[in-house]
Amino acid sequence: MALTGRAGLLALAGAVVVGVLLPSWWGILLVSGLVLAAVAVDVALAPSVRTLRLSRSGDTAVRLGETVAVTLRVQNNGVRAVRGELRDAWPPSAGAVTQRHRVLIPPGERRAVLTTLQPTRRGDRFAHRVTVRAVGPLGVAARQGSHEVPWRVRVLPPFTSRKHLPSKLARLRQLDGRTAVMIRGQGTEFDSLREYVVGDDVRSIDWRATARTADVMVRTWRPERDRRILLVLDTGRTAAGRVGDAPRLDSAMDAALLLAALASRAGDRVDLLAYDRRVRARVEGASPQELLPALVQAMAPLEPALVEPDYAGMVAAIRARSSRRSLVVLLTGLDAAPVQEGLLPVLPLLVRRHQVILASVADPRVEAMAAARGDAEAVYDAAAAERARTDRARIGELLTRRGIEVVDAAPEQLPPRLADRYLALKAAGRL
Amino acid sequence: MTTVEQLPRSLAPSAGQLWRAARGPLAVAVAVLVAGIALAAVAGGTRSGLLDPRAVDPAGSRAVAQVLRDQGVQVTLVTRYDQLRALAGPGDTVLVTFPERLAPPQADAVGAIRADLVVVGAGEPELFSSGVKAVGGGQPGERSPACELPAAVRAGSADAGNIAYETTAAAGATVDGCYAVGGAPALVQVRTGARSITFLGYAGPLTNERFDDLGNASLVLGLLGQHSRLLWYLPTIGDVPAGAEKSFYSLVPAGVWWALGEVTIAALLLMLWRARRLGPVVAEPLPVIVRAAETVEGRARLYRRARARGHAGEALRAGARSRVRPALGLPRGAALPTVVEAVTVRTGRSPVEVAALLYGAAPGDDASLVRLADQLDILEREIRRP
Repeated sequence: MALTGRAGLLALAGAVVVGVLLPSWWGILLVSGLVLAAVAVDVALAPSVRTLRLSRSGDTAVRLGETVAVTLRVQNNGVRAVRGELRDAWPPSAGAVTQRHRVLIPPGERRAVLTTLQPTRRGDRFAHRVTVRAVGPLGVAARQGSHEVPWRVRVLPPFTSRKHLPSKLARLRQLDGRTAVMIRGQGTEFDSLREYVVGDDVRSIDWRATARTADVMVRTWRPERDRRILLVLDTGRTAAGRVGDAPRLDSAMDAALLLAALASRAGDRVDLLAYDRRVRARVEGASPQELLPALVQAMAPLEPALVEPDYAGMVAAIRARSSRRSLVVLLTGLDAAPVQEGLLPVLPLLVRRHQVILASVADPRVEAMAAARGDAEAVYDAAAAERARTDRARIGELLTRRGIEVVDAAPEQLPPRLADRYLALKAAGRL
Repeated sequence: MTTVEQLPRSLAPSAGQLWRAARGPLAVAVAVLVAGIALAAVAGGTRSGLLDPRAVDPAGSRAVAQVLRDQGVQVTLVTRYDQLRALAGPGDTVLVTFPERLAPPQADAVGAIRADLVVVGAGEPELFSSGVKAVGGGQPGERSPACELPAAVRAGSADAGNIAYETTAAAGATVDGCYAVGGAPALVQVRTGARSITFLGYAGPLTNERFDDLGNASLVLGLLGQHSRLLWYLPTIGDVPAGAEKSFYSLVPAGVWWALGEVTIAALLLMLWRARRLGPVVAEPLPVIVRAAETVEGRARLYRRARARGHAGEALRAGARSRVRPALGLPRGAALPTVVEAVTVRTGRSPVEVAALLYGAAPGDDASLVRLADQLDILEREIRRP
């Protein structure tokens, strides 16, 4: 049950009657009684909210930063028209633009209400509940009730780094031999034989094939294909740290998505593993067409956990999943203590069988602090930042010495830098 | 192509703009003030006031007072109730103007004064003399006396009306009613023994404007000039004896209080209307916000609090050395003499100076720490520049 403003206004008008005509307890009793009677009549005659049938339709996924519309259909099965207000409640981060709607549903009819969402955070957003306030015929009181109409909108990572994809694909095509340049080197694989033309490297002449045919034949080469790439997202403590406006995890996802898009075009197979102390998400054996959708769907609900990651468990999980040699891209932090104590002891197990890239999101704030000068405060800041930078460099050096490729870059630079490193490894045939 | 030149500008008004905006209203205000003062100065010399024996304007009564004085009647203006009580006695005439300004107990007390009373325009005459009641009246105009009151008989027809009175005869009192308006007299005199109370429904005859019309002057002089002293009582509103004052709340009609009760109920209903939420508040677990640079900032605060110039200086030097080495083509583990020599060759500085800068002692105070940072920057720039 709910009152409307009209009930109060009615009582206010009654105050004039009491003051002028019936200045006594009886007047107050009479007027208040009349107002309450009107409320009672209205509540009794208001249509029941319970009998409404509600259903939803619309989009279930949206990229962060875009808007999505969810339609709510309300069917009135009662005998009286439902007139009043409807609130389609969503959590604040779902960014519902319009939550309250005026509705008028004649008996036996159905109306649609459109709720536009502009989510402000990645992850799953669940509709809360729909509350309807149906006003009675006098308009002084209403019946109010709620319905659970479940709906989920999955807010996907924005993949802002896809703007780098065209340039990286052009680089890939260069490697791939689809352009005129043919490269030959270690790690490339035999593609086909063709006739010699002037300008070809004489070292690539296939003498056996030349002997079988009348012409001089040369071998052509192409970069290796069907390599395996395992993207490992560390969702532990370090991933929760905010760099700029977004947590490190979001920047890591961005980088992982660019690499996955590039690698799947290059003919490599990409898998994903998200791990802190247990497996958080996994994508395995997705075909090139469904890889990116599968990845964003798997990444969307991931939230960093405030726990120390279990690197031994992570390495065990990686080893269990990849028997063949693959490129393991570890997207984690480069902080001294966890890497030295957790990661370094278990890395040899990984490096023995796989090529490993460790990608880490650096904080531009540290760079800004290191460049600060002027007064003592700023210089102490600079010294602390310099110390942190030196530590990171030292850890990076330790890892490089163990045969691990290290990519440490600010959030905007990390995706292209990681892609470049992948292309370099591919060109060198080290996958 | 046209370009619109838009320079950034402040929208806060300048002093000149404020003055231009305010001068119009200010001029009007000053004009009103000046006109008011001028009018007060011009009009200040003469008194004005309804039924005031000093006032010369049409509604004043200076003419009456002057004529009475000429007739040898001592006219005393009384404005305070206490003063009236102290002065009035048998053998005086008391003229009560504006009886409505008197609180009921005051009116009672004035009615009990042992002097002849003349009450002008009394709406509630029963306060002064029980047995007399106001009964409507009529438009003031020329009326004939039609009674035996000597003053009225002498005056003949005069201006009368406004309020008319009805009397119920009290024991031992003689009543005269003159100048009937719609069947009821507009002038009533009640005499009890030697004392009389006269009610005059219309104050017109007392004013300067109408004093010399018809028999007004004769009537007024007859009523007010009976005794050698006339107390002209001009009550002021604030002049209320202690205890007779009514509180504001007792003057509020009862209906208002009852209506207020109903308004409270209305307010309650309005509150219920606003308080009822359309569905519950939606709670949402929020992510923890951890700034990635927090540990670095914490370390900076520790340096600052401990004044750890040694650590800070060494960190800055280590950073500079690590950047200088690759720029000079030296391996990572290059020793002190190698680095110093390479820097000396590149920059032309003295080996002692370079060694002191890159490997020197900890700075002694904050100022030298700041200086060290700046000098390291300069050195790095020199090395980078080929």
